[in-house]
Amino acid sequence: MDSFSSPTGSSSPFSTDEFMDKFKTQLAQAYAQEFLETVTGKCFEKCITKPGSSMSGSESSCVSRCVDRYIEATGIIGRALLNSSR
Amino acid sequence: MDTSGLNSPELQRFLNQEKEKAMVNEMVAKLTNVCWDKCITGTPGSKFSSSESACLSNCAQRYLDMSVIIMKRFQSMH
Repeated sequence: MDSFSSPTGSSSPFSTDEFMDKFKTQLAQAYAQEFLETVTGKCFEKCITKPGSSMSGSESSCVSRCVDRYIEATGIIGRALLNSSR
Repeated sequence: MDTSGLNSPELQRFLNQEKEKAMVNEMVAKLTNVCWDKCITGTPGSKFSSSESACLSNCAQRYLDMSVIIMKRFQSMH
């Protein structure tokens, strides 16, 4: 069931608090999804340069380093924006 | 029972806040995407080199500078 759908016959499907909660959860899910897709794309580009018949050890360690670095890069960019806005 | 509708000031405030947060998040995600390609040219290591992290941070700030310049350029066109 879609979490935004309302129970039938009610004129006030949810309270404001309930709405805000659901809204935040859905938004967080959307961000996580988008982030996952971006990181997958970036790290595939970096680490799987010549796809073989199976994933090599060096490829998978590259992927985990790449994911860590992408998260770190997100933090660096966030701080850089914060610093230049004041 | 909560009778507040879509026009409640509380909800409006909440939505405005969320909108602002969403814009910041969007910007961070976009710049990370762009600056990653520009600055991280080799295979990702277990740690960023100081030049890589400086590049990321400069990249984000220059992007903002550039947006301002382009905005001004457009404003002076009419």
